[in-house]
Amino acid sequence: MRISLQFAIIVAICIAGEILHRIVGIPLPGNIIGMVLLLLLLCSKILKPEQISAVSNFFLSHLAFFFLPPSVAIMTVGDDVLSKWPLLLFLCIAFTLVTLAVGGFCTQFLIRRQEYREAMARRSAKTSKQGAER
Amino acid sequence: MNAIVNSPLFGILLSLMAFEAGVLISRKWKHTLLNPLLIANILIVGFLLLTGISFESYNVGGSYISVMLSPATVVLAVPLYRQLSKLTRYWKPILAGIFAGSLTSMACVIAVSKLIGLGDTLMLSLLPKSITIPMGSVVSEQIGGIPSITIIAITITGITGAVAAPAVCRFCRIKHKVAQGVAIGTASHALGTSKAMEMGEVQGAMSSLSIGVAGLFTAITAPLILAALS
Repeated sequence: MRISLQFAIIVAICIAGEILHRIVGIPLPGNIIGMVLLLLLLCSKILKPEQISAVSNFFLSHLAFFFLPPSVAIMTVGDDVLSKWPLLLFLCIAFTLVTLAVGGFCTQFLIRRQEYREAMARRSAKTSKQGAER
Repeated sequence: MNAIVNSPLFGILLSLMAFEAGVLISRKWKHTLLNPLLIANILIVGFLLLTGISFESYNVGGSYISVMLSPATVVLAVPLYRQLSKLTRYWKPILAGIFAGSLTSMACVIAVSKLIGLGDTLMLSLLPKSITIPMGSVVSEQIGGIPSITIIAITITGITGAVAAPAVCRFCRIKHKVAQGVAIGTASHALGTSKAMEMGEVQGAMSSLSIGVAGLFTAITAPLILAALS
């Protein structure tokens, strides 16, 4: 697909997301609704990832750049907030460590439980089969 | 001079040069702490403060770049779609782990903010700090946070995840590769995922998957949690 058409599709999805947010009133940001719309188009095979790859690769590989101007807006935040930066930095680091630990621990616990149950199910299936053979 | 500074091209050129410098510096020393976005941010803020040029003048051009935030967020569906096929045998533990991690991140922010009286604006700005920048900044805006603080908090979170993930996994005895990947992607989005990819293929794939799922989950639940608390 031509790049102009690829870009038109992506922008149309963005606008559709905005419409669903502002006019239909879905309580999610328009961008996120747009992302879900594109995901649905991909999952239903209406759109193939290759058909929009030039535009999606461009944005995905330069993603951080587009957030530079919004991040510079930190200049306009009042000193009362900025003076708390050591506390905010500490909280960001601490919360990340806790999230890492809890996310990993829960996943591992549930995986082990599933593996244990599957092993038990296999074993009981085996013994009942042996019992039937006897 | 004013006409040049207030032209959109000024902000665009400044952003491009600062970002390029950020990328060059981070490539040269290859240290996780040297994040291109953070370096570029410091360069631009420093430049504007030194020259006395206002943020509004810079943002005449900057806003042209910000317009592209919307398509940049929408295309995140592509990696999420590619990763969804990785939800195979362990799809239940994976999804449950991502939800647990996302809820933990939000619960920490809300509980500690209320406890130490951080104030609503800062609490709301930090709430989506574990998800990827495109989604986190719009969620922050929607719930009443300050997107610039959210973007910087997200970047610091990502750096922390990338630096600390192997140590946390060792300390908490998180040995399963799938669990390691889920932890890293959920807690520290794309920046952490670069470390997960170094740890192994499974960790990298699970971390990539978790970025999108955690982002969507947080975008949906953050407003609900806030509504339930108020």
